[in-house]
Amino acid sequence: MFCDEALDAVEAIAAGELIADGRVAAHLTTCPNCAVALEHARELERTLRQREAPAAPAQFTSQTLARVRRARWRSDQFLDAGFNLAIIAIVVGVITGVWMLLHRTGLAAVSSDAIELFGTAFVTFVQRAVPSLPLYAGAAALLASALGIWWWAERDAAL
Amino acid sequence: MEDVHERELVERCRSGDERAFQELVDRYKDLVFALIARAIQDRSRAEDLAQDVFLRIHRGLPYFRGEARLSTWIYRIVANVCLQDPGRAPRALSFDDQRAEPAARASPDRQFGDFELRDRLEKAIARLPANYRLLIAAHYLQGVRYEDLAEALELPLGTVKTQLYRAKQQLRRILETDLR
Repeated sequence: MFCDEALDAVEAIAAGELIADGRVAAHLTTCPNCAVALEHARELERTLRQREAPAAPAQFTSQTLARVRRARWRSDQFLDAGFNLAIIAIVVGVITGVWMLLHRTGLAAVSSDAIELFGTAFVTFVQRAVPSLPLYAGAAALLASALGIWWWAERDAAL
Repeated sequence: MEDVHERELVERCRSGDERAFQELVDRYKDLVFALIARAIQDRSRAEDLAQDVFLRIHRGLPYFRGEARLSTWIYRIVANVCLQDPGRAPRALSFDDQRAEPAARASPDRQFGDFELRDRLEKAIARLPANYRLLIAAHYLQGVRYEDLAEALELPLGTVKTQLYRAKQQLRRILETDLR
């Protein structure tokens, strides 16, 4: 029996997971070095078992939950930014696609005519509506005053 | 019964129930913190890493399939966090470390007394490689079995036992030689 063989078994014996058989037991009683090693291993085992388990600090749960909330908020922000960027990219893509399609099919000229037509219609509408603007403004003011008086009367009745 | 409650808790967490996640944190915080504090030996860093573990749990819960026990999955996350911690390199120890002084002064005649042995033990553990530190930290926590460790570290049971014996052997040598 060599010391190396006994020393390999010392930890398991000290932990109570191995029972020293005849040869090992005999060696441990006759070899002072191995006996001391076993004694130290037992002492180490006992101290490790008595080692204190530190408890989590008092505010640990609330701090952890706050950190989780922060992380979730950041991830939501990231997701939102990604979503917005994707929407912008899609809109730009669609506009570019429509523009390219109009150019390829020759509809661009037609569309410019249509834009011109809409522009002319808008200008004509504005020119016709402008002279009547004071009338519309007066009617709106009268309506607003009537509504104001009604609201004031209702409020007083409620009080 | 315990497993049923655990599954319910996981399901509630997955559905976004914040109270359920709070219950989960309350249930495992001491275990997670004790494991990390023992392996890292720096309380504020341990607190930070323990919070990291729960952040990872929160992120990972939607993907937790329940094949392993929740505690085993949590041990695995703790192991990853501890082993990936950049500050895990054993710090150099000096014999005139200030924390050792009160023990030496309080009991000069108790060279092998419990208090001093515990102090030396902490120093010796700090000199172990990170995986050995974690094994020692986990094995001596109440309720952590070899099987849990093997599953969490994805190692065969025999390897876990052998590594633990080696860790203790190395620890004993440090205590017998360097820190004597």
